[in-house]
Amino acid sequence: MTNTARIFREHNIVFVTIALCIVFYMVSPRFLSVDNMSAISRQIVPIGLIALGQFFVVVSGNIDLSMGMGSVLFAIVLGVFFGLTGGVAVGIVAVIVCSLALGFFNGVLVAKLKLPAFIVTLSTLFMAQGLSGLIIPRGQQIFLIGDFFRFVGAGKFMGLYWSFLFLIALFALAYVVYNHTRWGAYVVAIGNSEENAKLAGINVDRVKIGIFMFSALCSGFAGLVLSSRMGFVQPGLDGNGLLLDGIAAIIIGGTLILGGRGTIGGAFWGLLFIGIINNALNLLNVVDVWHQVFKGAVILAALAINWMLWQSRQADAH
Amino acid sequence: MSDAAVSPRRTFALDGLMLRYAVLVGLIVIASVGFSLANSNFYSITNVGILLRSISVLFLVSMGMTFIMLTGGIDLSVGSNVAFSGGVGVVALTTTGSATIGFICALLAGMAIGWVNGVFIGRLRLSAFMVTLATFALARGLALVIYDADSINVDNAAFLWLGGTSWNNLPVVIPFVALMFIALSVLLYRTTFGRNVYAAGSNFNTAFVLGRRPERSVVWIYVLSGALAGLSAIVTVGRVSSGQPWAGLFLEFDAITAVILGGTALSGGRGRLLGTILGVLLYGIIINGLVLTGTNPYLQSLIKGMILLGVVLLDTYTQRGKSV
Repeated sequence: MTNTARIFREHNIVFVTIALCIVFYMVSPRFLSVDNMSAISRQIVPIGLIALGQFFVVVSGNIDLSMGMGSVLFAIVLGVFFGLTGGVAVGIVAVIVCSLALGFFNGVLVAKLKLPAFIVTLSTLFMAQGLSGLIIPRGQQIFLIGDFFRFVGAGKFMGLYWSFLFLIALFALAYVVYNHTRWGAYVVAIGNSEENAKLAGINVDRVKIGIFMFSALCSGFAGLVLSSRMGFVQPGLDGNGLLLDGIAAIIIGGTLILGGRGTIGGAFWGLLFIGIINNALNLLNVVDVWHQVFKGAVILAALAINWMLWQSRQADAH
Repeated sequence: MSDAAVSPRRTFALDGLMLRYAVLVGLIVIASVGFSLANSNFYSITNVGILLRSISVLFLVSMGMTFIMLTGGIDLSVGSNVAFSGGVGVVALTTTGSATIGFICALLAGMAIGWVNGVFIGRLRLSAFMVTLATFALARGLALVIYDADSINVDNAAFLWLGGTSWNNLPVVIPFVALMFIALSVLLYRTTFGRNVYAAGSNFNTAFVLGRRPERSVVWIYVLSGALAGLSAIVTVGRVSSGQPWAGLFLEFDAITAVILGGTALSGGRGRLLGTILGVLLYGIIINGLVLTGTNPYLQSLIKGMILLGVVLLDTYTQRGKSV
């Protein structure tokens, strides 16, 4: 295999994303306008937070299906505590505490009781959905008004949204943690083989619980960003759509769903890809009902392409 | 020799299963007595018919899910598939006017989604929840596209017959579900295909080495589940006399709970169809009771989530106790 071909294979998502940008630019020149670019940068923040949390979960060989509905629930927790006390800090502390509690709950059930992650998080998905509608009755809203929410939702620094800069910083931090700390190596080790990780003396249970607490914390932040942007909270938001977008981003970014393999950079490009697709579907006036078809098809295609790339890498290695 | 190696240990497993079925039957009796005390209409013959008809779709889908979970897989796409195949069937019916073509198109559409799942999971060996999560979105999206996010009324008597007709308070769909149960039992317990299902779930690699072609069985099992989703779609359309783009929402969740409740192991290789029937009955009575007593839908999803978690916990706990 030639060197160029290998570069193309390993960084395929970069080329695909750039090609997509060019295509969309030719169809609609408005696509590359500064306004639209900054709109995309703001839209991808909640998806990016979900993707980042899910990345560690998936690399460790698990899945967290409760992240989307978790965000909806945590947004409502924020609204309730802010609405009752009027204090932003109280609301944020409540979000952090509740999300860590949910993550701890998921993590203990998966790590200590050895239950399959998708069943545990499927049931917490439903519990989160139920709780979100029980705290605030359907059709009611709590408004989030204040400097802080305006700052998170629309604050800009040198033309870039603060929330986007925050996301970039988080990705950079995650890059360092994933590639240059012991904890990151543990996550990969667990994803490759839990048995071997245990034999190597890694406290597998503790790392797993930590992973689920981190993913739940990310969904808490996603709920915060999402509700700040909208300016209100209400039950019945599309939490599952958010979850699917986040999962799509990391699969497109080349994360192996069986665990043990994936890059933060890939996840970031996958996130840009999903953000661009979402934006273009709106910009090109694609009817709403087609959006979900695209999402499902894109995930399936990414799964198939990842599989073929994996086969080709195996062949290359021999 | 190979049969002995892959078939479940009858003498030991049967005792545990019989105990479990006895407990399930007891719980079904308690739940129905409880709800009949809470609601005096609960035990009229008409209401039993209505109850069974309302969970008939859950019966069909859960039997398919049992096959899948016996292989250690999961199918999150069945609910969306019910909406999608229903949409294809209804559109085929309204354009051609022939109920037969409508039936066939609904079945084929369901099987097509099942086939996609099966190929990705069986041939490419990708994880079942990830693949079916993608088809969960894809099939629901396609259903929304087909219906243009609006329901379509159906008045073709032949097409509505299966889901809508009753013989003296006995909905036609109930004997149909019973027939499907017998047919699927024969398929699972009396054919090579059924043995291959258990073989693939007990140990995929061993089954492969023994030449049982588990990768091929898995594809067919997902196609079977898709076909049952297509049948469920026909029943659903018949029940409400219209095709709905949001039909079968979260049906997969109910099916998974009922199947685990019926004693099928999440890890695969262990479980029987009879258990699934009992599981659906118990779960169906509880859910129906919640709906009849007018429980807040959000409280219902909270309760459903807790039931699933409780059942899984209980199941793992009792199984581990046995193996130690």
